[in-house]
Amino acid sequence: MIKIKAKNVDVFYGKKQALYNIGLDIEENQVTALIGPSGCGKSTFLRCLNRMNDVIDICSVKGEILINDFNINDKSCDVVRLREKIGMVFQKPNPFPKTVYENISYGPTIHGMAQSKQEMDEIVETSLKKAALWEEVKDRLHEPGTGLSGGQQQRLCIARAISVRPEVILMDEPCSALDPIATAQIEELIDELKKEHTIIIVTHSMAQAARVSQNTGFFHLGHLIEHGSTDKIFKNPDNTKTQDYITGRFG
Amino acid sequence: MGEAPHTVKSYEEELKNLNANIIKMGSACEDSLGKAIQAITTRNSDIAETVIRDDEKIDKFETLVEQQVVNLIALRQPMAIDLRETVTALKMSSDLERIGDLAKNISKRTLLLNENLPKNLVDALNRVSTSVQKQLKSTLDAYLERSASMAVNVWESDEQIDDLTNLCMQEVIKYLKEDEKNLDDGTHLLFVTKNIERIGDHTTNVAEQIYYLVKGEYLEGERPKGTEPIVTGEK
Ligand SMILES: Nc1ncnc2c1ncn2[C@@H]1O[C@H](COP(=O)(O)OP(=O)(O)OP(=O)(O)O)[C@@H](O)[C@H]1O
Ligand SMILES: [Mg+2]
Repeated sequence: MIKIKAKNVDVFYGKKQALYNIGLDIEENQVTALIGPSGCGKSTFLRCLNRMNDVIDICSVKGEILINDFNINDKSCDVVRLREKIGMVFQKPNPFPKTVYENISYGPTIHGMAQSKQEMDEIVETSLKKAALWEEVKDRLHEPGTGLSGGQQQRLCIARAISVRPEVILMDEPCSALDPIATAQIEELIDELKKEHTIIIVTHSMAQAARVSQNTGFFHLGHLIEHGSTDKIFKNPDNTKTQDYITGRFG
Repeated sequence: MGEAPHTVKSYEEELKNLNANIIKMGSACEDSLGKAIQAITTRNSDIAETVIRDDEKIDKFETLVEQQVVNLIALRQPMAIDLRETVTALKMSSDLERIGDLAKNISKRTLLLNENLPKNLVDALNRVSTSVQKQLKSTLDAYLERSASMAVNVWESDEQIDDLTNLCMQEVIKYLKEDEKNLDDGTHLLFVTKNIERIGDHTTNVAEQIYYLVKGEYLEGERPKGTEPIVTGEK
């Protein structure tokens, strides 16, 4: 099943074009990895999928992004509802300047997901457990989230993103600030999450892309050079640019 | 290897080194096979002893390649063509090591033969071994050239080796039947023939690996077969 369909997507920052005619199908309940050298447009593409580029003044997006067959670039799209369905974890951890608990409870509160304090406590606990952070913060739930270490903050943001049970989770280098154990925990979480969510992850670690994803897309200078099963991309890619990139031969 | 060089030079060096060791190991096998055949057909014990001694070198190459492959996988996490290079080297080294062993076994038996062998038999032995030697050479060339089509050619000529093996077996059986005194030598010769055929099989394995290395997919279909072997039912 195709969850997201990008068709002829062009993105400009002012006059500068950042993405060229991107066409990509994202399968439901699968992990899709987006790889490519710095500045090739991965984050830009990710932001197209929940209209986060709207908040950048000079940014304009052309083309269609169909999610569940609905074009989210259509005027009738309710952007708030959209972002509720499409969660995002950013490259840099960005916890709210609130307590650990409030960071998680914020979303479920707005969406009216808990009927009681007890239910909210449960949501907070399971979200933190899933994000492999519970043990480290269970005794400091009411301290500021910004007081956590970088890696802990990132897991807090992951917990926050999954607390509202979005259909799709966009992750922009979620593990770049994490140690190998936390990374493994997040990868395990991603594996678990894909049963109920569709996941798109941007990563600079080829090994991570190979480990966590079923499909991979390779971007270069704003173009989607090749996409297909992760197995194929990492064992026998069709395009020499792809091969040069994943084998570390980029000139 | 036709790819652009790696950004990390030491990685590039390690892959080149692995490749060079496979080539050296392959030539050592070619050399041993040639000498083993020369020793048995010209009844030269000195050459046979060289082959027996040289097997150790081939074994050492296998260990070396194995260590290099483990290091590459652990430290470099090779991907795509590099992954295939690495895995293929490991598999090739194990088939090449077997080829070395079989050449050594032929030479050990050569030392035990005493009678002068009938010309028909020597001719038959020469025919099958020439064909296997050619196959091994083409396989190593296919590796050097990274040529899938050369690998396929080798793969297809396995059939011819099966046929020549059977002809040689028939000669050995004829020799066995001629005189009870031929029993010891004849038995050795049966094994020698079988060993040559097995070298051909290992060579075909290597050809399959080269095809995978180049194409990234497996050579499909049944391996072409000649007439069924008449003496041993191993296959
Ligand atoms: N807010 C912005 N204003 C202007 N140009 C931008 C903006 N964001 C990104 N760009 C440009 O768009 C191109 C794509 O950037 P993007 O952040 O999508 O790359 P990326 O693949 O995510 O890189 P990285 O791996 O470094 O995160 C780059 O040339 C970048 O300079
Ligand atoms: Mg980015």
